[in-house]
Amino acid sequence: MGSDLDRQIEQLRRCEIIKEIEVKELCLKAREILVEESNVQRVDAPVTICGDIHGQFWDLLELFLKGGDCPDTNYLFMGDFVDRGFYSVETFLLLLALKVRYPDRITLIRGNHESRQITQVYGFYDECMRKYGSVNVWRYCCEIFDYISLGAIIDDKVFCVHGGLSPSVNTLDQIRTIDRKQEVPHDGPMCDLLWSDPDDIEGWGLSPRGAGYLFGKDVVESFLHTNDLTLIARAHQLVMEGYKEMFEGKIVTVWSAPNYCYRCGNVAAILTLNEKLDRHYELFDAARQQESRGIPAKKPAPDYFL
Amino acid sequence: MDIDPPQTVASGVDPNSNIYPIAVLIEELKHDDLSLRLNAVKRLDTIAAALGPQRARDELIPFLEESIDDEDEILLALAESLGSFTDLVGGPDHAHELLGVLENLAAVEETVVRDKAVESLNQICRVLSEMQLMSHYIPLVKRLTMGDWFTSRTSATGLYSVVYERMQNNTEIADELRTMFVQLSNDDTPMVRRAAAKAFAPLVKVVGKKHLLADLIPVFNKLAEDEQDSVRLLTVEDLVAIAQTLTPAECKELLLQPLRNLASDKSWRVRYMVALKFRDIADAVGEDIIKEELVPAFVHSLKDNEGEVRSAASGQVPGFCRLIERDTILNQIMPCVKDLVTDTSQHVRAALAMEISGLAPLLGKESTIENLLPLFLQLLKDEFPDVRLNIISKIQQVNEVIGIELLSQSLLPAIMELAEDKQWRVRLAIIDYLPLLASQLGMDFFNTQLLSMCLSWLGDAVFSIREAATANLKKLTEVFGVDWAKEAIIPKVLEISTSPTNYLYRMTGINAITIMAQAVTPEVIKDQILPSVRLLVNDPIPNIRFNVAKSLETIAPLLKQSPDTSGLIESDVKPDLIKLTEDSDNDVRFFAQRALLSAQ
Repeated sequence: MGSDLDRQIEQLRRCEIIKEIEVKELCLKAREILVEESNVQRVDAPVTICGDIHGQFWDLLELFLKGGDCPDTNYLFMGDFVDRGFYSVETFLLLLALKVRYPDRITLIRGNHESRQITQVYGFYDECMRKYGSVNVWRYCCEIFDYISLGAIIDDKVFCVHGGLSPSVNTLDQIRTIDRKQEVPHDGPMCDLLWSDPDDIEGWGLSPRGAGYLFGKDVVESFLHTNDLTLIARAHQLVMEGYKEMFEGKIVTVWSAPNYCYRCGNVAAILTLNEKLDRHYELFDAARQQESRGIPAKKPAPDYFL
Repeated sequence: MDIDPPQTVASGVDPNSNIYPIAVLIEELKHDDLSLRLNAVKRLDTIAAALGPQRARDELIPFLEESIDDEDEILLALAESLGSFTDLVGGPDHAHELLGVLENLAAVEETVVRDKAVESLNQICRVLSEMQLMSHYIPLVKRLTMGDWFTSRTSATGLYSVVYERMQNNTEIADELRTMFVQLSNDDTPMVRRAAAKAFAPLVKVVGKKHLLADLIPVFNKLAEDEQDSVRLLTVEDLVAIAQTLTPAECKELLLQPLRNLASDKSWRVRYMVALKFRDIADAVGEDIIKEELVPAFVHSLKDNEGEVRSAASGQVPGFCRLIERDTILNQIMPCVKDLVTDTSQHVRAALAMEISGLAPLLGKESTIENLLPLFLQLLKDEFPDVRLNIISKIQQVNEVIGIELLSQSLLPAIMELAEDKQWRVRLAIIDYLPLLASQLGMDFFNTQLLSMCLSWLGDAVFSIREAATANLKKLTEVFGVDWAKEAIIPKVLEISTSPTNYLYRMTGINAITIMAQAVTPEVIKDQILPSVRLLVNDPIPNIRFNVAKSLETIAPLLKQSPDTSGLIESDVKPDLIKLTEDSDNDVRFFAQRALLSAQ
């Protein structure tokens, strides 16, 4: 089986999909591993933290070129693996296969796009239908989404979550008591962790997204203090410069989808924490397109497009 | 959530019978669920084989003829599989019975389905007898050609070259086919004319010169002057195909005017196609036209208003210049190239940088130094990273012409600058180029000028650079020898591998010594490399520890090669590996166990 999995990883690295039956088996194995993980998974430094990927497969490979390969480099992906990009299937399955092969070297946490409802609107569902001709692969993946951790804690000091904080959560232990094995709810702590955003306000505010909340510097400071933390790392929001520290470096947004949706023109970033938790940001651009352009559009277009 | 596909039961078949799976598939062909139907269609050959030729003809084919009203995805799979169905319906004698389904598929709305159907029709056309062609295939071509909808007529264009080749000895039919094709190329809808322009080139190859001159060239002239630029641009390929069949004199007489028109077309997309095909055109039309017509036309393309056209033409520079005289290159092309080096479009400069070094062998040493080198230097300093990258990656060609010494004298400062370029792919290109540079420059020069640069890459923030830098050290050791490595490289690498500050340095260090081990003698491994690898067995970071295991896996076979060092496997390597197989980390145990197996 080990070599079978290695073969699947090689195949996915070439951006070739694996068979439906292999997806099913992979998901079963992934479930065994993920079910054992805590809602707030413990992770040891050194580790490289990555934000949204959104199916931009070639850019994920670019990320590995800059950050190093799994397992030599430890990775933590903060959700939103799928939707919007053209290769959500390959992207998610590669990350999942790496998770199964090297469970201690790569950590996945859930983003708001890892949900049945959202993926039916933003592309992952359609992509599965297109590439497999049936809903099965989408269903297997959605089942796995329910098992992915809601957050991670690095060396007891750095809290990682896709969106942000929740007014119903003061301590990490409160997160640990959530029954996460379900579709992302429309409200409540689990929803907030995946949907909220930091903002220059005091206390809590309504989120323009319609789910989750906005939270201010005081909220972050009190959460860090209560839980004896030094940093919150999160993703969820496009940052043109790839990353953005706020509130005197107490919270950082990391964004890992360069030229988001193949048109935003942003750079992407990964955050490397070494064994002493020193932060180092590495920026990267979109992968180069080797495809010949054929009859050109006025602006040279990439080979895939939304 | 239910994740199993719903089961269908094939009615009336004993589940234990060996035709049961087939019965299920046939049942699935009619199933409401799209995915099941698709699955069945994709295994249509299995069904047909199980039914046998007779029943495949009598039952399956009529059924398929009726199921043409399905989703495009199903139709695509169907159109694709039918092309190789000949044997399954009883061999070529019965192949014509497949034509009905494919004819329908060739008329549907979805382009990809039609294209596949046309492909399959051509496949079947090749195996039919002349009788079958006359009574079944030609009428089909006629029906599609006369079809009411443009979809049929578009598909029809793709059938002509293959069927014509089969029927060219039958004058009557051949005449008729050409007449019909001419009719298609005059179609009212641009879609059909586009398809005709595309189908034209393959047809040119089979009609023979007489008919080409009489019938097809007028068609070409008409298409080349079509009101739609999307039709005109396709005729560039046709022009090449025609030119390949004609003598230079005929080309001059018949193609010169259309070529002029296309090259100066008002639509940039047409000019772009011409620019992209310059080399092919030049190859086909013969020397006279090149001299009189193409050189000015090429110069024109290089100065076109549209960046896309200039880019395409830039890519053709060396290919085209190979066909013209050196003086012409110097007097007419080089001035344009000089302008392009400072073109306002970065894509044009990048395209030029990719190809410009191909001029060096054509110009010869002196002229390269005089004319090309300055342009090189300028491109090396371009603000757009792709330009710098392209020029560096092709520098080898210039090297061969003017020699490394001269090249390095003039380019070394620029290369040193690029070694610290912000774009990591530029740095990578420089690293790849370095062993070559090293072998030509010699050890002394290298030690003073380039060594520290090579070592600094080991601490680069980008993984791929660190990886390339370690591989580079091995290549350099192969160039300068083990003694050099022992003095200049290994101590520095060992220093990195014991860095207490950042595990990434230790990681690079251990990777570097492992790679170096493969280039040095077992003695060096014993004295210098193995002891430092063993130091890291107790590293706090598991990633380092499993790389120690990987490293020992590489080193063990090297130690075995010499009787002086083979004893170290039992005394040093194995105890360390055994210790690692008891590690708290999963991956460390895995790699240690694997290494232990290979150390046996």
